[in-house]
Amino acid sequence: MPKRKKIYGLLAEFRNPADLYHACEKVRDAGYAAWDAYTPFPVHGLEQAMGLRRSVVPWIVAIMGFSGAGLGFLMQWWMSAVDYPLIISAKPYNSYPAFVPVTFELGILLGSFGAVFGMFALNRLPQLYHSLFNSDRFAKVTDDGFFIAIEARDPNYDPARTRALLEEAGAVAVEEVED
Amino acid sequence: MSAHGKHVEDLTHEQTHLPKNSGWRKVPAIGAVLAVAGIGGAFAMKGGQEQQFYFSYVTSLLFWLAIALGGYFFTLVQHASRAGWSIVVRRLAENVMVTLPVLGILALPIFLGIHDLFHWSHEEVVAEDPMLSWKQPYLNTGDFITRGVVYITVWTVVAVLFYGWSLRQDRASDPAPLAHKMRGFAPLGLVLFGLSVTFAAIDWVMSLDPHWFSTIFGVYYFAGIVVSIHAFLAIVVVLLQRAGALRGVVTQEHYHDIGKMMFAFSVFWAYIAYSQYMLYWYASIPEETYWFAYRGHGDWLVLSLLLVFGRFAIPFVLFMSRRWKRRASSLVFWAVWMLVGQYLDMYWLVQPVLAHEHGSDQIHFGLFDVLTFVGIGGAFLAAFGWALGRAPLVPMRDPRLEESLNFENF
Amino acid sequence: MAASNKTLAERDPIDPLVGRYPLVEGDPSFSEVTAAVVRPIEQPPKAWWIFFLLSLGMLGIFGISVGYLFWEGTGVWGLNIPVGWGWAIVNFVFWVGIGHAGTLISAILFLFRQKWRTSINRAAEAMTIFAVICALSFPTIHVGRVWLIYWPLPIPNQMGMWPNFRSPLLWDVFAVSTYFTVSLLFWYVGLIPDIATMRDRAKSRVAKLAYGAFALGWRGSHRHWVNYESAYLLLAAMATPLVLSVHSIVSFDFAVSQLPGWHTTIFPPYFVAGAIFSGFGMVLTLMIPLRKWFGLDHIITTKHLENMAKIVLLTGSLVGYAYSMEFFIAWYSGNPYEAFVFVNRAFGDYAWAYWIMVSCNVITPQLIWFKKIRRSATALFILSIFVNIGMWFERFVIVATSLHHDFLPSSWDYFSPTIWDWGTLIGSFGLFFTLFALFVRYLPMIAISEIKGVMEKANPHHPSYGHGGHEGPAATKEETPEAAAAPAEPKAAVVTEEKATAPEPEAKASPEPEAPKSSEPTDAPGADPEPAAPVAQTPKVEAPKVEAPKVEAPKVEAPKVDAPVERPGEKAPSQAEAVKKPEGPKSPTTRGWTAFMDAADMGIEPPKVTPGPKPAATDETPDKEGKEDA
Repeated sequence: MPKRKKIYGLLAEFRNPADLYHACEKVRDAGYAAWDAYTPFPVHGLEQAMGLRRSVVPWIVAIMGFSGAGLGFLMQWWMSAVDYPLIISAKPYNSYPAFVPVTFELGILLGSFGAVFGMFALNRLPQLYHSLFNSDRFAKVTDDGFFIAIEARDPNYDPARTRALLEEAGAVAVEEVED
Repeated sequence: MSAHGKHVEDLTHEQTHLPKNSGWRKVPAIGAVLAVAGIGGAFAMKGGQEQQFYFSYVTSLLFWLAIALGGYFFTLVQHASRAGWSIVVRRLAENVMVTLPVLGILALPIFLGIHDLFHWSHEEVVAEDPMLSWKQPYLNTGDFITRGVVYITVWTVVAVLFYGWSLRQDRASDPAPLAHKMRGFAPLGLVLFGLSVTFAAIDWVMSLDPHWFSTIFGVYYFAGIVVSIHAFLAIVVVLLQRAGALRGVVTQEHYHDIGKMMFAFSVFWAYIAYSQYMLYWYASIPEETYWFAYRGHGDWLVLSLLLVFGRFAIPFVLFMSRRWKRRASSLVFWAVWMLVGQYLDMYWLVQPVLAHEHGSDQIHFGLFDVLTFVGIGGAFLAAFGWALGRAPLVPMRDPRLEESLNFENF
Repeated sequence: MAASNKTLAERDPIDPLVGRYPLVEGDPSFSEVTAAVVRPIEQPPKAWWIFFLLSLGMLGIFGISVGYLFWEGTGVWGLNIPVGWGWAIVNFVFWVGIGHAGTLISAILFLFRQKWRTSINRAAEAMTIFAVICALSFPTIHVGRVWLIYWPLPIPNQMGMWPNFRSPLLWDVFAVSTYFTVSLLFWYVGLIPDIATMRDRAKSRVAKLAYGAFALGWRGSHRHWVNYESAYLLLAAMATPLVLSVHSIVSFDFAVSQLPGWHTTIFPPYFVAGAIFSGFGMVLTLMIPLRKWFGLDHIITTKHLENMAKIVLLTGSLVGYAYSMEFFIAWYSGNPYEAFVFVNRAFGDYAWAYWIMVSCNVITPQLIWFKKIRRSATALFILSIFVNIGMWFERFVIVATSLHHDFLPSSWDYFSPTIWDWGTLIGSFGLFFTLFALFVRYLPMIAISEIKGVMEKANPHHPSYGHGGHEGPAATKEETPEAAAAPAEPKAAVVTEEKATAPEPEAKASPEPEAPKSSEPTDAPGADPEPAAPVAQTPKVEAPKVEAPKVEAPKVEAPKVDAPVERPGEKAPSQAEAVKKPEGPKSPTTRGWTAFMDAADMGIEPPKVTPGPKPAATDETPDKEGKEDA
């Protein structure tokens, strides 16, 4: 007896960004939480249609950036003025005007790490396997496909009703995806 | 244009004109009174303290001139770069720009006070000073005045031309020829701007201390100009909206952009200032460092630090916030902050020279500073207010107006 | 309004007064864009092999030169006593400068909302990274004992000593390596969605695995995009001051010294302007042939070239400003040494180099003032070569002329390069071009996801999608059953949809795509002013479209007409299909970009006909052409 596969959810394809946008508004208003839109490029304003909040990446960057700069300055001060003070070209040990470049660079460096790795962490990337990759149709998401997937774990999920919602919202095709 | 977008045809008279009985209508009169009172008063009292008067005068002039020149720069740069977002505030910048003839006239006292301001204008001093004798082909009264007149003429001519074209476009049946004309001449105007501002800064500010030199000096003043105009625009826009105009025309999105430019150029200012300071500090050649040295003692040290933190560090950390750029009240707060910073910066450039000459390291902020500030500011605001009242507040026929109305940051 | 708009647009379609010139010419569909960009990867042209092998040969020269240098020591170079910093530092600064355009395009133009950057940013960023690799190799081989190259890093060691943070050379270590790292991250982050595209198109298992690993499992989730875009914006915001800082710090290497000709306060911004100038010179040098060979001139359009040319003009003039400022202050300062250096530069032993520099950097770029020149790919290509030469000489002039006449005439000498100096310079170009060739072979040289994002049809509120808001879904709703039933050939669906101007219910009425004829009356040029909206609804919207240059009027209009026709039937022919179908609307409609693709001939000028300020240009590209590009 073949084991019944677990269902990830419903995947619906839309024709263009506009249809997707309006469909997102409907799904949002229908109260779903575990769902997402999939697009080949960031569709402008879609986060409002989906009811998403602003990203927290800026906070990560700010914290990382300022601590990078702060630690960078402390490092230079400690190395040049505390641990091994040396007079060089008649400059004071703590030559803060000369420490600015490195302080700045380290601030930027850590800030950038914050931006990139913070983004990866928030997005749970890398994640080489995902249920949606089981759908052949889904390969188009990196070309010209616009999709919405509603997950089965969503409390509002109901195979029939959810499918109806998506179809009503203008889906070109709706399919069930295995987990 | 998106179907829900705003359209030029839908703009109402109230949105695009100064309200009939708003306080703004009185600005020209009030400004004129302040101008007469401030400048006249300062002039009348200058007996015996000519030097202080002129140094205060130059400080205030540089401050207001930076805003006016900013209007020039802003307007032309938008044409040259085909900008879309800024059209709704461009007329305001044009109104700022057209104060240049007035400020040009107000710059003439520099020539009157040449002997009080500039060391090198005294023949006997020059004769004894090999450095100044060397510089005499450039730093001499005749050429100095000629150059000054050239700068003022360039500013006046360009400002009046562009202002006139823009106003004519409002009424033209076909806005295209004028739009093309403004685009075509803008780059040329910017070249003239770059050269005139650089040499004006060298002549009027750097040569106050004629022994000192820095190749970046023109850029330093330029950075202040760009910060000033954006700060001034922010304040004017918000006040006009309080008065009922421009509502729904200039939006949060435009605030945000103005704020970003203000922020960016205050950082740019810091970059230029740091480059100038650090290179001289590091090489430590006495003929270059003394200029910073006397700004690093006594009261001047406090002012210098105030600039570092007030003009750069604090706004850098706080004004970075997106929210504060998009809210009218906080935008105005930081715009005022920036303008205060600009004034302090001008004060820091000009006045230590006088104190240094007298062997003092103290700041004497006095009546002259206040009076000249109010006086020149009054004249500036009078001209600005007059310009506001006589034409629509937005360039009604600019082809990109609709794009600007619907502008959104990403 | 409409009447005047018409005259506005006609005057200069590339530089319209209303709206924006489309960033991608010919209004291709999303998948057509993907196809065009990845084609060089999937079917590399022969020219690639020639280019690659030539580069590899030059890289060999680099290997030999460096190998011999390691074997013999720095004595093989032309360095002498006053000129202790010679060729290597010149090349270092030259390459770092080249490396500035990439991040400038990605970061600064991004902040200024210069959407045209999306066509060139990927290649320019790649170029940045390779240029920085070339740059880094020079100080590395210059240190003499390469195996001690780690000394500048703050690593605890048995001597208990730390690097000297008061040395500008150490700042360079931090600045250039930070720049390299951040540029690489920025580039990679931009690449992730495109690598995912490659993954999904890959045929071979190796390619699938390789692209798959680097794509990190990207699946275009919008929840991801939100964080992604935020991170990208912040990277841009941080990379902007970073770009300025890097070349400023490079300039500090010179400017903190007390050497006449080096010690001047304008150096930092002047180096930055020069770096951007040279970087754009190199971008033009690379992109002009590439767009030709790879048939991408509908994505990298004349408009793009013109914009870059304007930046070259601006920065070239800024560099000219700095040259004159230096001269003026050298005299004004009254410092005889300073004055001597500058007179010596212009009229001394290296006058030849100085005048090459001035003519290439300041004089020839002034030709860009002429519209003819800045819109001619050939002219720009030649100009860009001059820029590259000029900027190399600028660094040479700065280094050699300031050093070769020391304060004491007893230590005057003349620097001339040896064959090994030349070998390393030419070889470094080999390194650069080899890396670049590999890049265009294996990675999409245009940011696919970004360019799609700036196309008009990417905007969900674009008028061609109808009024959005509430009507949108309603309209679609009626069609849904059919739509779902139809064996959705989704690609076609998308293509047609994009074209649909006004999805009116009536559209259903006509079942066959019979279009063009009926369309003619509408688009007859005379008819335009207001009729624009053949189908009610969006009069405002259409206005700009109508005024599109007459030439293309028929074409632009046509799709509008068959669109409603196609809409109901999901199967309605995509543009591409239409071309093949004999009965398909042959004429103007089909001649667009598809025809261009089919011709697959790189030579074809992307139909002049097509461009024209699209309706949406006004809407979708609120990219104020930033402040910077004049």
